[in-house]
Amino acid sequence: MKGLLIKDFKLMKAQKHFYLLIVAIAVGMAVFTEVSSFIIGYMAFIGSLFTLSTISYDEFDNGNAFIFSLPINRKCYVKEKYGFGLIVGGSSWLLGTIIVLGAGLTRDHNLILDTLMTALMVLPAMLMILAFMLPFQLKFGGEKSRIGIMGALGLMFIIGVLIVKIAKSFSFDLVSMLNNLSTMSIGMLNMGAIVIAVVALLLSYKISVSIMNKKEF
Amino acid sequence: MLKIEHLKKNYDAFSLDCSLEIMQGRVTGLIGQNGSGKSTTFKAILGLITSDGGTVRILGKDIQAFKTEDKQDLGIVLSDSGFSGYLTINDMIPILDNLYKAFDKPFFMEQIQRFGLPRNKKTKDFSTGMKAKLKILIAISHNAKLLILDEPTAGLDVIARDELLEMLRDFMEKDEERSILISSHISSDLETLCDDLYMIHEGKIIMHEDTDVLLSDYALLKVDQKQYADIDKQYILRYKKESYGYSCLTNQKQYYIENHPQIAIEKGTIDEVITMMIRGVEL
Repeated sequence: MKGLLIKDFKLMKAQKHFYLLIVAIAVGMAVFTEVSSFIIGYMAFIGSLFTLSTISYDEFDNGNAFIFSLPINRKCYVKEKYGFGLIVGGSSWLLGTIIVLGAGLTRDHNLILDTLMTALMVLPAMLMILAFMLPFQLKFGGEKSRIGIMGALGLMFIIGVLIVKIAKSFSFDLVSMLNNLSTMSIGMLNMGAIVIAVVALLLSYKISVSIMNKKEF
Repeated sequence: MLKIEHLKKNYDAFSLDCSLEIMQGRVTGLIGQNGSGKSTTFKAILGLITSDGGTVRILGKDIQAFKTEDKQDLGIVLSDSGFSGYLTINDMIPILDNLYKAFDKPFFMEQIQRFGLPRNKKTKDFSTGMKAKLKILIAISHNAKLLILDEPTAGLDVIARDELLEMLRDFMEKDEERSILISSHISSDLETLCDDLYMIHEGKIIMHEDTDVLLSDYALLKVDQKQYADIDKQYILRYKKESYGYSCLTNQKQYYIENHPQIAIEKGTIDEVITMMIRGVEL
């Protein structure tokens, strides 16, 4: 698996300018705005997307046939993709948090606790995105999965809006309830979200393994 | 080293039913036209596609029992696949070093230098010859017991082909227990390298012969109508109608030289033998 990880890091090297640009944008936003959750989310999201682009690289020119003739198996390949996504997504998430903290501290605001809370809220979202996108990418490849992901995100948005609307029709204001939660309850809610996201990621891994086991190259 | 019995794979317009055996210490060639089933056979051996029947035993193990660890002993070249072209040779070295326990880095580096392959250039920008040499080098640099090479010489000029075949001969000389299965649609590549040859056509093996026998005992008899009527046909494998009469493929050249000295006998090249086996009519 280590060999595959090295391969993906080497492939990512080809996109280092793109990554540096993303970091520069994040730094710019952190210095000139105060949208900390967006910056951390943006970094984590773009970082975890790199694992998808390595799958595209592997598929390009039928490269998968050669990869699977190397001394690795399909399960190991899937594990590596999840691992790579977590490493790059996690590091980008951390970097985003550091950027926000750095910019906040230079502005002399005491934002540490707020930023850390925001960062923790972004984490389950990042895990969910990985859990959701990896099986799509492995099953349908680059082009088709993009369409599928767009559709699915749209669907999730509609479901979210519907839940809020339905709750409202029962005189239950979810948004203001979330806004009025104490820091403690937000922390608990967040922990719950992280647990759900980890479970989703494990489930997604199982699905991905079975997708790969069925594939022919 | 490798034994395939009635390996089957069915697609809409193609079905494979292939049996072949690669013995230890030998180089076995698989010749066939484009689309004859060479790559499908290779992919089934490597578990890249699932087979619809038959058995494959590789390095003494059934394909189902052939584990990731066992792949350390294989060296693979696939005609239409390889490492991403966005990687450089320098990128590949640590990858190979971590994938193969027996990766011989000094040997690999030495060969890279010998063939003048640039280490910092993306391999997608390599010439066809450079790409082919790199693929072979990757396959032979970890002390593999069995090389499985699908069209490693495709698209190469004569000089590059010779260099590549030389690399394979060197590989075989180092250890007499090593074996190679190599496919090509260019028979001259295999003529000088292989100990025995299989011919595949429309998914089926139509012939298996030692290369020496193929080159020494197979011949084309060029006969007119009358000669064809009179000739002893017991060793004629295929015949084909020609403008002058018939051309006949035999695997007993000496017999016809001795018993029919009046007829024109041409030494059969592998290409001619293939053409006759495919286009000729069986008696």
